[in-house]
Amino acid sequence: MTTFIFRRLFDLLFVLFGVSLLIFLMLRMIPGDAVEIMLGANTDITPERVEALRRQLGLDLPLFQQYASWFTGVLRGDLGQSVWTGRPVSAEILGRLPVTLEITLLALTFALLCSFPLGVLAARARGTSGDTVVRILSIIGLTLPSFWVGVLLLYFFSLRFPTWPAIGYVPFSTDPAGNLMRMVLPVIAVSLPMIAGLTRILRSSLLEVLALDYVRTAKAKGLAQRVVLYKHALRNAMIPVITIIGVQMGYLLSGVVVIEQVFAIPGLGRLVIGAINERNYPLVQGVILVVTALFVVVNLLVDLAYALIDPRVEYA
Amino acid sequence: MRKLISLALLSLSLAFAQSGTLEIAVDQSPVGLDPHIVTAFSSFAVIGQIYDGLLEVNADLQLEPALATEWTVSDDGLTYTFTLRDGVSFHNGRTMTAADVVYSYERIMAEDTGSPQASRFAAVASAEAIDDTTVVFTLSSPYAPFLSNLTNLSVVPKEVVEAEGNLQQVAVGTGPFMLKEVVPDTYVLLEANPNYYRDGEPGVAELKYNVVPEASTRAAGLRTGTYHLLPDVDPATAETLKTTPNIDLLTTQDLAYTLLGVNTTRAPFNTPEAREALNYAINREEIVEAVYFGNAVPGGPLSPGLVDWAIPTSSYACYNYDPDKAAQMLADAGYNGEEIEIITFGTLKVVSDLSQVLQAQLQDAGINATVSIEEFGTFVQRWRNSDFDAFVSLNGGSTDPDGYFYRTFSTGGSTNVYQFSNPAVDLLLNDGQTTTDQQARKAIYDEVQQQLACKGPVAHIAYGTLFTGISDKVQNFQQLPTRGLRYLRNVTLE
Repeated sequence: MTTFIFRRLFDLLFVLFGVSLLIFLMLRMIPGDAVEIMLGANTDITPERVEALRRQLGLDLPLFQQYASWFTGVLRGDLGQSVWTGRPVSAEILGRLPVTLEITLLALTFALLCSFPLGVLAARARGTSGDTVVRILSIIGLTLPSFWVGVLLLYFFSLRFPTWPAIGYVPFSTDPAGNLMRMVLPVIAVSLPMIAGLTRILRSSLLEVLALDYVRTAKAKGLAQRVVLYKHALRNAMIPVITIIGVQMGYLLSGVVVIEQVFAIPGLGRLVIGAINERNYPLVQGVILVVTALFVVVNLLVDLAYALIDPRVEYA
Repeated sequence: MRKLISLALLSLSLAFAQSGTLEIAVDQSPVGLDPHIVTAFSSFAVIGQIYDGLLEVNADLQLEPALATEWTVSDDGLTYTFTLRDGVSFHNGRTMTAADVVYSYERIMAEDTGSPQASRFAAVASAEAIDDTTVVFTLSSPYAPFLSNLTNLSVVPKEVVEAEGNLQQVAVGTGPFMLKEVVPDTYVLLEANPNYYRDGEPGVAELKYNVVPEASTRAAGLRTGTYHLLPDVDPATAETLKTTPNIDLLTTQDLAYTLLGVNTTRAPFNTPEAREALNYAINREEIVEAVYFGNAVPGGPLSPGLVDWAIPTSSYACYNYDPDKAAQMLADAGYNGEEIEIITFGTLKVVSDLSQVLQAQLQDAGINATVSIEEFGTFVQRWRNSDFDAFVSLNGGSTDPDGYFYRTFSTGGSTNVYQFSNPAVDLLLNDGQTTTDQQARKAIYDEVQQQLACKGPVAHIAYGTLFTGISDKVQNFQQLPTRGLRYLRNVTLE
């Protein structure tokens, strides 16, 4: 088990190397660099001054040299400095990561809390009108883009509950209630598609398991319907659900980008959008690396969860 | 005793006057705060509260005293003597003197600063502090826009620049508000300067610029009272706010204008005749309706808001929409339907909409145009390198005609990306700078407008209405056509 974890973490290094190279090259394929964006429409500055700025930022070096110096820094744990503020990239990311993680984790929790009862209900009541309602709702939920739901929720709340603090962000440490109240709308908007997806998967997976022989055996030996469903069937139906959760975490991290724009929340998404527009290379590279690492780790956790749920799965 | 009571009452009323936090919603974080370095509007919106220049521009676009109380100009137009206000102090408590004005000028001119404002003071030969409250600027040649350019000379304290390297992250000025806190992508918080030199101002205790990227979110926040003021509302959102109770929508004529610029070194628009034909092909009235929902006026090279300078568009023959005539003129100029590319960007709805409408209008005159909507950074780069056939954009305006014309239309001008060159216009633009008599200057710029409107490299399209949305709790707010927010210092909250 331990060797498995270490091997996977070792793989992570290669993933990060590949991703970093890719993002490094892609960023530099976009025309315009930080110096040009900084100058904007200001053409009063001499070409010598522009060159000096480029030298200062190391943008005059050959590409592979720029990459090598950045990547060796990363290996030492130094992600470089933000071109615009001069602050370390790691500090910029650490300031924003908790905000995005809070939305992501709250949305995940909320999605699980909603989709389990709905999925089980739909599977148990298969073919009834309740099942149909849940299935239709889940299709609708899947097709609604979260930014649109976000704008709609905001509009509705601003008319109906004008005193509800719906916009912006305050840290949990300074104002817990204010923080959570502001989280309600973004979390609903982000989790809707996830609730819909998980409900559908859970329903079909549960139906599949309920048709298996061992469930019939369990029923035949007189176990209560409740025990059969929750103790035997649900546990086995979880495997595909867990897989989906792992994948969805990645989508959540990216879906949050748009929601952060709508609700004016200062998370990782807004940081990276701003950084791309400003051609703030070290910052974009840093954020993408961190998000990639998160994604890989989440998938590792998912693999470990399989072993937890299904004793037949073993890692060596 | 009575005196004591009245003193207590006075201090009470002062404390009462300066209360509350004015919540403003803006679309972007300021990109640095150094008044001598930044170019972004999002930065100036904040900096304008913190720093003062010697003069400022009022709502009628006239110059008014700020740090300087009075000034005299020598008869030859070369020597400007300013008397500074007494007893003005920086936010760090030190008294501002003439030496600070000279230092700020020198900092702008220093090569190392890389200040975009340097060219505005190129005519200055020297700046000298005669005593603590007298500054003399000596010009090398008469330069009429000098006074209006002085509104940009923010006075900064030397010791802070030397301690911090630059003023991007710190801000110490003489203005009505002091920098309290910056939380990136969240808000910028300013607090009232208790020692501000105008008595009884500012009217609120704090000024908070909330960074809210989505227009619909800003509008929702204004509706619920989360925000008190939206400085720049787009026409579509303005329509929805018009009917909302408890919200006032202020309007003024914007100095910013939309334009179709062409490269004068590339066919077909390398001849004055072809450029004139281009103007005939544009239906500005239709654009005002389709793109601005009627909230704009067609305009020439200068905004109709500049009432002292702009000449009416009725004096431009080429503003009479006539696609057949345009097609004929273009055919005569040797154009045979070759494809031209119009570049533009997608971040401003007015601009991207305009490019689509223009494309259709040009089609009617036989001009075969394609539209490329570029990412903004890419657009700026192609614009800067004159790498375009034509482009559609929105430009901010200047209060003095020289501020826009010289750098844009003189041969080799710093923003003459059109590579336009016309010796007659060059001569006029030089005269415009060195002539100080107002009437003579007006005559010169009337002629410049005539020369540029039809045959210049820019087809000026329209000047929009600038909307500002405010809650009815906000008192005494005055909107400026420059989009500046200087008069936030007068605002009080109910």
